[in-house]
Amino acid sequence: MNANQLPAKTRAARFPAVLATAALALTGCAGTTENAQPSNTIDYWMWDTSQLPSYQKCAAGFEEANPDLKVKITQYGWDDYWSKLTASFIAGTGPDVFTNHVSQYPQFVSLDVLAPLDDFKDIQGVDQEAFQDGLKDLWTGPDGKQYGMPKDWDTIAMYYNQKILDEAGVDPKEISDSQFSPEGGGSFEKLVAHLSIDANGVRGDEPGFDKNHVKVYGLGLSNAGGDNAGQSQWAGFAATNGWQATDQPLWGTHYNYDDPKVQETLDWYFGLSDKGFMPRYGQFNSADGVLGQVTSGSVAMVSDGAWMNASYISSDTKIGAARLPKGPDGTSKSVINGLADSVVKSSDNQEGGARWVAYLASKQCQDVVAKAGVVFPSRTDATNITSKIYAQQGMDPTAFTGPVKDGNTFYLPVTDHGADVTSLIIPALEDLWANRQPASTLNGTNDAINNVFIK
Amino acid sequence: MSSSTNYRSLGAAKRSRASKQDLRLAIIFLTPAAIGFMVFLVWPTLRGIWLSFTSYNLLTPAEFVGFANYERMLGDPVFWNSMKVTVEYVVINIGLQTAIALIIALLMHRLTQSTLLRGIVLMPYLVSNVVTAIVFLWVLDVQFGVANQVLEWIGVDKIGFLSSETWAIPTIALINVWRHVGYTALLIFAGLQMLPNDVFEAAKLDGAGEFRSFFSITMPLLRPIMALVLIMTVIGSFQVFDTVAVTTGGGPANATNVLQLYIYDVAFGRFQFGYASAMSVALLLVLGIITFIQFRLTRAGSSDMN
Amino acid sequence: MTTTAARRVEANIEPKPTKTRRRLSPGRIVAWAIMILVIIVTLFPFYWMLRTALSTNPGLQANPDSWLPPEFTFGAFERVFGLQDTEQAIAEGGSGTQLNFWRYLLNSVFVSTLITVCQLAFSAMAAFAFSRLNWPGRDKVFAIFIGGLMVPSIFTLLPNFVLIKQLGLIDNLLGIALPTMFMTPFAVFFFRQFFLNVPKEIEEAALLDGVSKMGTFFRVVLPMSSSPLATLGILTYISSWNDYFWPLMVSYTDSSRVLTVALGVFRSQSPQSGTDWAGLMAATLVAALPMILLFGVFAKRIVNSIGFSGIK
Repeated sequence: MNANQLPAKTRAARFPAVLATAALALTGCAGTTENAQPSNTIDYWMWDTSQLPSYQKCAAGFEEANPDLKVKITQYGWDDYWSKLTASFIAGTGPDVFTNHVSQYPQFVSLDVLAPLDDFKDIQGVDQEAFQDGLKDLWTGPDGKQYGMPKDWDTIAMYYNQKILDEAGVDPKEISDSQFSPEGGGSFEKLVAHLSIDANGVRGDEPGFDKNHVKVYGLGLSNAGGDNAGQSQWAGFAATNGWQATDQPLWGTHYNYDDPKVQETLDWYFGLSDKGFMPRYGQFNSADGVLGQVTSGSVAMVSDGAWMNASYISSDTKIGAARLPKGPDGTSKSVINGLADSVVKSSDNQEGGARWVAYLASKQCQDVVAKAGVVFPSRTDATNITSKIYAQQGMDPTAFTGPVKDGNTFYLPVTDHGADVTSLIIPALEDLWANRQPASTLNGTNDAINNVFIK
Repeated sequence: MSSSTNYRSLGAAKRSRASKQDLRLAIIFLTPAAIGFMVFLVWPTLRGIWLSFTSYNLLTPAEFVGFANYERMLGDPVFWNSMKVTVEYVVINIGLQTAIALIIALLMHRLTQSTLLRGIVLMPYLVSNVVTAIVFLWVLDVQFGVANQVLEWIGVDKIGFLSSETWAIPTIALINVWRHVGYTALLIFAGLQMLPNDVFEAAKLDGAGEFRSFFSITMPLLRPIMALVLIMTVIGSFQVFDTVAVTTGGGPANATNVLQLYIYDVAFGRFQFGYASAMSVALLLVLGIITFIQFRLTRAGSSDMN
Repeated sequence: MTTTAARRVEANIEPKPTKTRRRLSPGRIVAWAIMILVIIVTLFPFYWMLRTALSTNPGLQANPDSWLPPEFTFGAFERVFGLQDTEQAIAEGGSGTQLNFWRYLLNSVFVSTLITVCQLAFSAMAAFAFSRLNWPGRDKVFAIFIGGLMVPSIFTLLPNFVLIKQLGLIDNLLGIALPTMFMTPFAVFFFRQFFLNVPKEIEEAALLDGVSKMGTFFRVVLPMSSSPLATLGILTYISSWNDYFWPLMVSYTDSSRVLTVALGVFRSQSPQSGTDWAGLMAATLVAALPMILLFGVFAKRIVNSIGFSGIK
């Protein structure tokens, strides 16, 4: 028996594999533009179901103005959105236009899958001056070209449970007037303590407060660091303490998690959970965010983003919004962020896609979005419409527009290797909250992060 | 192999002619399976090994980088953490699953032969991994889950089953035990049914009690079956992915970042397919070594029956 | 293993139970207690799924520990079948997206059936080649086949995806089925184990009657293999029905979406909304139901024949 000889037919059976190999080698693995859609249909992807009706209205308006084009909107849930998008780029079956997010967009820029918008005639016709300040820069790549058309913006504010505040005798203005300090917590921590109530009804600032059996926490938390730099959680605090996440606001190449300013902020912040003023890790279901914590009355206030407004407004509990507390530098700062629409390079109708993007940024569409009262659109005039709607519904819009008006906003870190940074920093931040490690452990993480940029 | 003994009784000439005919037939019969094997198993594996020596971001051609990925892997604390976490998971999962499956199989063998019972025991297998994970995510939820409600009744503090560093991996291991134990039990049970009664009767006549006969007779006779069951379940267990992806996503603080999840994240989340391939090769090697050791240790190829 | 053992399995003889005492020895009580505990632990999650599926989400949050559905409604099931309108769905805590249920069911059935039928056929053929035929290198090739068991699924995921794309089968049910359609090492191994124990005498009798080797496969071995065929058939059907990540990657539109992937609709749609637990539980029950029914029909066959019918 010749052990090394495969039967002839099995060798022959390898032919299909050989052919497939050759095919792969020849055509390479980059996506080809095999788009099954006829090219006068613009394939648009988005994840937010609550915005679907607005965009369907916009699509109708667009099709009226552009009878030669149709818009097909597909919605994928957030959990699946990015993996589907990635798979589609590889397969060459992706959308023509999609809703982009700041956390993912640098990755796509470096992979060269986004079409720069500057060269499209329709884009050039968009009045970007009408946008909120700073949005266009957020979506400008390191090469100076624009990769996303801003469509909305958001900032962070403190949402509070009206009933709990009333019972504590706290005026919502006190939230924005209070000040935090890394040493001792400042007047803000006193406020949080006062709002915390233990199982026996003792408040956090009264003697005998049982920090192990707390019924109402002063400040809620469901996530150690958000996507990256604690956008909805502690970014504002760190910024008012003088911290800058990266060496440059946009497209930096060096992270500063070893800065004592952010470390002392984080030590104070997560330290609130030791004192019983903030939930410990895992006490609440993190998948549902902080909304449930404050609406159920388990927590007095939470910091959250403006994109959640509609959800807070529609909850049965009365929730109000106040501007974030001040910090050591005397101001109250918030992250400003926003979504944008991007055109895919491998699209078979880039020009049509650009037209749709331009329409989404136009006054007509933005007004439609504004009237739905779900997000603040990027145009300032449309923002005013939304602000009025929020005010009518009992949610104070100045909590969100305030930082923008007085220029106290800053960007999230927008850099290359975003996914690598996230996968390094998030477990480290979780360690701080879940296992109460000191923030100095971030020094090692910071080295690892900066190493990624050196390679 | 008993087949060859029969052939020895034929003439040598007859044997070689039969061999040739068998060869042609074998080729015909093997072709479809071989195509599937080559195209969808061998080719991706070879390609994966090649890619492990490159830097590849899925959208531009791969670039050869020699052993760089392997060097990175050896110095990557997250990789070693993943290894450790995965091994911890496998030990708890397989240990519990095998023990419980054995007990259930014995109970089914000695207590009752009811098909209904066997059907019930198999039911969790009908539900997919993803669905099982979602259901237990709900049952073990810290706020709304019934498991913690029960704990509260008893007077014990709530446990963050899937959010606590110490509990997360054991919990995931237990979830998968729930899903797979019935199937494993039935496999062992089938093996139990194969055992000849005469050996047991002889033992009973000699005065051996339940425990004695179990350890000295049942276990040794079951060895080949247990060995094969163990090999299969260990291989599957090392590749745990769905459950973790749905429940904890690797957290908290990488406490449940099992190897296949880390590889997936590096490949599809961070577009570093070369590095991911290197780690996959490592996983393949680990599986190969463990299987080989298991095979040897349990002498799975032979049986005490003959 | 000899044929006597195989025959014993067929007859399903009950081993004599050890009854040293009358009925309720402490040993038996303990044994039954354990068995009952096992049954409860096994069935409880199913009950909990049902109870959750029959309520509204606000009701679930208000009464997390009630044993009966807190706010009884069939709403979740209506959402699954796409029968509920958006406003009511949102009122009950759902997301309001529509689900094209019957289409997905059909797709799942098509894919699973295709995979099962083909895999059974091809694997049985290969197993026959490895067990009943004698040819040079047979055992070595078999070892290579079985080595395939150790390849982590992540290894094959991307290359398969790219290959399916090159074949133009993205967003196509055939594309979903292709990688596993031909064989799996486990199936080949399973059948081979069984075939090795088909008595030689029967096969030789057929050969003497003038049946060709190929004929012995179709007329002797296969008919005797109804049990392992049914067993593996069900197992394959179940695992292909429950596959999630591969169909998720390959399908883009409703035309190729399968039921398990459609479940994704009930998980959080956006960072804003919470999970529609009631809808999710209802969907998982509905997705599992065909499997449970199929199992019920074939139960006796499967449960009594699972496993190795002979170990060498």
